[in-house]
Amino acid sequence: MNTERLSTTFSALADPTRRAILARLASGDATVLELAKPFDMSLPAISKHLKVLEHAGLISRGRDAQRRPCRIEAAPLKEAHRWMERYRRFWEESFNRLDEYLHEMKRKEKQHARRK
Amino acid sequence: MLEGNSDLMVKKPELDLLRTFDAPRRLVFEAWTTAEHLSQWFTPGPLTTSSCEVDFRPGGVFRLTMRMPSGVEFPMDGKFVEIVVPERIVFRAKIHDDNNVETTVTFTETGGKTTVSVHQTFAFESDATRGAHQGWAATLNQLCAHVARS
Repeated sequence: MNTERLSTTFSALADPTRRAILARLASGDATVLELAKPFDMSLPAISKHLKVLEHAGLISRGRDAQRRPCRIEAAPLKEAHRWMERYRRFWEESFNRLDEYLHEMKRKEKQHARRK
Repeated sequence: MLEGNSDLMVKKPELDLLRTFDAPRRLVFEAWTTAEHLSQWFTPGPLTTSSCEVDFRPGGVFRLTMRMPSGVEFPMDGKFVEIVVPERIVFRAKIHDDNNVETTVTFTETGGKTTVSVHQTFAFESDATRGAHQGWAATLNQLCAHVARS
């Protein structure tokens, strides 16, 4: 897995506006103008966010010079999601151990209580 | 359009998970407070804990090294940020170079059972340092892949 791309994806996704833009694009391609409207943002501000998303490979821009519609790209999102799921698995394994260890802690506590 | 992928679109790159243990909160919380306890369970199998140092107070160290069966070690260098007994523990850890993960663990008890919630945020290298290192993402990748295979 390309960790460079993963870190770029994560920092791109850290911003709520960029996540909202992606959510909007998930329902279909849109131009910069169409994206700027619901967010009540200036075109340069939106363009800046789009550049970050494009750099992260989360969107692609159409070739039509006039409109350059934005399209969402699923691959890096899926990759980030997979990475997080592996980390979740890591915790689940630890917690399986904790579950067993707690039984032992409880048992020791009972023994200790009986001795008193 | 991306059918079936809409759940991925708006998610923050953060991890949230819950687990309920059949033990009182007092005991579950205690399992996080000493090196002796943590080295018994914190490292996921089949890895083992080769060293663990815990100074359980805000600002105190939380260092733990996990060892893979091959002998490769993964050090974690952390500090406790906040401790509210027996409700919440926040710690920040460097896994590799300057990349940080902040973990908030919350404990709630219902009817003698304890639910532990884990919330993690990941800070990858900044724009300024990007490219300098492969970073801890690579380390974790290797580590998580190993756990997933077990």
